[in-house]
Amino acid sequence: MAARRLKLGVLALGAAVVLLAPPPDAAGASGERTVRVEASGAAFSPAVIRARPGDRITIELVATDVVHGLAVDGYGVSTTAEPGRPGRVTFVASRGGTFRLRCSVTCGPLHPFVAGALEVGPNALLWRAGLLAALVALGGLWLARR
Amino acid sequence: MTGERVARLLVLAAVVGPLGVALGGRLGRRQGSAVVEVHARMASDGGWGPGAITVGVGDSLRLRLVSDDVMHGFAVGHTTIPPKDLKPGIPEDVTLRFDRPGTYTFYCTRWCGVNHWRMRGTIVVSGVGAEAAEDDREPVPVALDLDLDAPHPAAAVPGAAPDAARGWPLVAELPNADRDPEALGTAAPADVYLRLRADPAHAHRTDEELWNLVAALWLSAGSPAERRVGGELYAANCAACHGEGGDRRGVMAPALAASLPPSTMPGRGRPADFTDRRTMLGASSALLAGKILRGGMGTGMPNWGAILTDEQVRALVAHVWTFSLSDHQP
Amino acid sequence: MTRVDLLRVPWVGRLVRSRWPQVLLTVALLTGFVLAIVAGLAGTPVGNRNFGIVGVWIAWWAALMLVAVPVLGRGWCGVCPLGAVGDWLQRGAVLAPGRRGLGVGRRWPTKLRGRWLQNAGFLVLALASGAILTQPRVTGLVLLVLLLLAVGVSLVFERRTFCRYLCPVGGFVGLYSQLAPIELRVRDKRRCAAHRDKTCYVGCAAGSGCPWQVYPGALDRNPPCGLCLECVRTCPYDNIAISWRGFRSDLLTAPGHRPDEAFKALIMLGSALLYAAVFLGPWGTLKEAALGVGTGAWLAYAGAVVLLLVGVLPGAFLLAVQAGRRVGRSELPLKRAFAVYAGALVPVGLAAWIAFTLSLVLVNGSYVGAVVSDPFGWGWNLFGTTGARWAPAFTGLLPLAQSAVLIAGLGMTTVVAVRLAPQAHAERPLGQAAPVVLFALGVTLGMLRLLVG
Repeated sequence: MAARRLKLGVLALGAAVVLLAPPPDAAGASGERTVRVEASGAAFSPAVIRARPGDRITIELVATDVVHGLAVDGYGVSTTAEPGRPGRVTFVASRGGTFRLRCSVTCGPLHPFVAGALEVGPNALLWRAGLLAALVALGGLWLARR
Repeated sequence: MTGERVARLLVLAAVVGPLGVALGGRLGRRQGSAVVEVHARMASDGGWGPGAITVGVGDSLRLRLVSDDVMHGFAVGHTTIPPKDLKPGIPEDVTLRFDRPGTYTFYCTRWCGVNHWRMRGTIVVSGVGAEAAEDDREPVPVALDLDLDAPHPAAAVPGAAPDAARGWPLVAELPNADRDPEALGTAAPADVYLRLRADPAHAHRTDEELWNLVAALWLSAGSPAERRVGGELYAANCAACHGEGGDRRGVMAPALAASLPPSTMPGRGRPADFTDRRTMLGASSALLAGKILRGGMGTGMPNWGAILTDEQVRALVAHVWTFSLSDHQP
Repeated sequence: MTRVDLLRVPWVGRLVRSRWPQVLLTVALLTGFVLAIVAGLAGTPVGNRNFGIVGVWIAWWAALMLVAVPVLGRGWCGVCPLGAVGDWLQRGAVLAPGRRGLGVGRRWPTKLRGRWLQNAGFLVLALASGAILTQPRVTGLVLLVLLLLAVGVSLVFERRTFCRYLCPVGGFVGLYSQLAPIELRVRDKRRCAAHRDKTCYVGCAAGSGCPWQVYPGALDRNPPCGLCLECVRTCPYDNIAISWRGFRSDLLTAPGHRPDEAFKALIMLGSALLYAAVFLGPWGTLKEAALGVGTGAWLAYAGAVVLLLVGVLPGAFLLAVQAGRRVGRSELPLKRAFAVYAGALVPVGLAAWIAFTLSLVLVNGSYVGAVVSDPFGWGWNLFGTTGARWAPAFTGLLPLAQSAVLIAGLGMTTVVAVRLAPQAHAERPLGQAAPVVLFALGVTLGMLRLLVG
């Protein structure tokens, strides 16, 4: 029983480290960043925008077939564009993490499923969740050892 | 009534109810006052349905417009009816009334694929109405019998983009005859430059100064309001193929050629490059207006005669000149 | 945590024994079902303005995956209109017990029993899901065909044959009901032994014999029981209890060890990964291939999907089980070990589907408001909510919630895998469980990458 308690303690400590350790600072200073995102069919291109926390990001949305929109989860900004008239939105990426990009104008049957991602610095949540998952699985096996 | 009876009635209602509601909705629409339901689809899926509507002069035409796939828009050419955006699946009601008989063209105002420019329908207004108005006279390019398809190389080109702001003070020095808008409308900038160059009164001016003068003459032709309208029209209708910078690098340009039926028309599927001074400066405003009105006969350039008024075409042409006669930034 | 006998709570007992609440709920759901069919077939082709799409794939699916299945197990089946219509026709009554109705009442052929048909049905729907989830006409048609099939089967075969052997939804609802915190069991088995008439199975004046062809006295796990509540009404000794059992699950107390159920678990797990990749991922070509049913791109896509769901994932799991048998030095035959340990995948499977569904409902749930006021997309405004704009909700919390659910599922799978050891006849039970746990970890990391990455 004491051994088990010890193991639980170790695992709890590990979980605390995984959940609370601060993420590494993204390399380099933040600055201005302009990204040209093409919207065509049911996808954004590029589908993933990478930035550093603190960057002032301008997304230029260029639609190449029909009217499209782009909304950023978590930041609540959006813009629309049609061929010949790009849309622009500027915001400061103050929050770190990965945020989904979604289409905000019905652009065809696949519209609800159009998605991209904005990666601001490292994806701390993914790392924490992944490490916690490994901790749960391996820790569970370890706990069960006699 | 027994519980079982009630339960069975409820089941019946559950099955018949939605059906009845749907049928009622459909029939109610048909019996009701004459509302014409117009569906908008991408041109490749049928475009406007119906594509031909008739109405009498002075009668109310009530339309219920709804898009069945992507964002469309509705507007009627040669009228002051404001365009209406059609969000997919959300019907919009619009009531039209025409005072003059004739055939009006309604068209889509939101890019909905490479065949968006083909998405047009007609409203035939019959009966006796007001007399034909002034602007029904022949358009200038037709009156002049211009050959719209002949190549028009510029006899002279400037080394760099002219600066109309520096040329504006020099315009005041020109005699009135040289500033006549109608004359300028039918002349090519390169020809006017050569005329000025040959004129001893301007011998002391540098080539650069003369080109600035020519640019100022062309770019001050319209009012600021007109230029704004021109810019709006260009962005909405032309930029997709001709490019926001007029450099023919529009997002639709690559798909355009693939979408056209085969033809031997020169320039098929290749939008004109408005930044190319070697061709643009050899064209007159009348020529450009003519091309816009008539379209490209199978090249993919739409004909705007049925849709844009002469004022709108003038505004558009004024905007187009900015691509070759200035450092135009979109 | 001790079991709480819910039927002993007076108002719960009354609610359950009376036929009215269940019938009213079923009729309401039937109305929604028919509305979905009519809207799908006759309404606007724009999916997010059509009740057929929004009402079914956002509202109903969310209610099913987030509430009904995790909390009530087979609770949906008890009020599902698909099975109920056939049931009413067979009994010749909606409310009253009734015994004589329509239907030939044949037995379902033995060769077609088991979950294989449901597996195939779900697979077919999964392959067409690109079109089903986005085109109202297709959804309307699929729902209509399911209704006609359910009624048709009920008129030819006995009792709830459709529900047991054909319904694609019932396939996974039954699978995941093993985790539900409620269960229907007899209170005292000796009572049943002494009761000669077995009215729970045969029927009596108070109600039909179990339509799901289950003998309640022997029921020891959730999947076979459709919670239709007939036995609660027919037992003369009030010996049937619906209990709240907390986190205790069937996976450990009475796991099923059949290969068809094992495949069901793997197909569902694989589908969750697939749907996350196709519908929530950034790959437009994949989505378009999924949508264009019948095109060349779709054929390639369909081939890859079948390969993945029926070949690659089960194959990888087989390897994990085999590795476990080696490491754990187990005497259990591979086929049996495969079936036993597939049960451990149930928690990660349900967690994966809940995580996927959370995205659907939080991002697109706002469409429900508009579609309730304008179910056909004809410009109606029945409740004034037609103008509601698309407004994704709690998108900041969404990845957090998904991560938490996935990790919880993995935790439960680990516990189950470890505790299944006694049934694995292994010298080193942990060695047997470890590769399976690692497999589940891999799937969890994959889902995390797709949903949160």
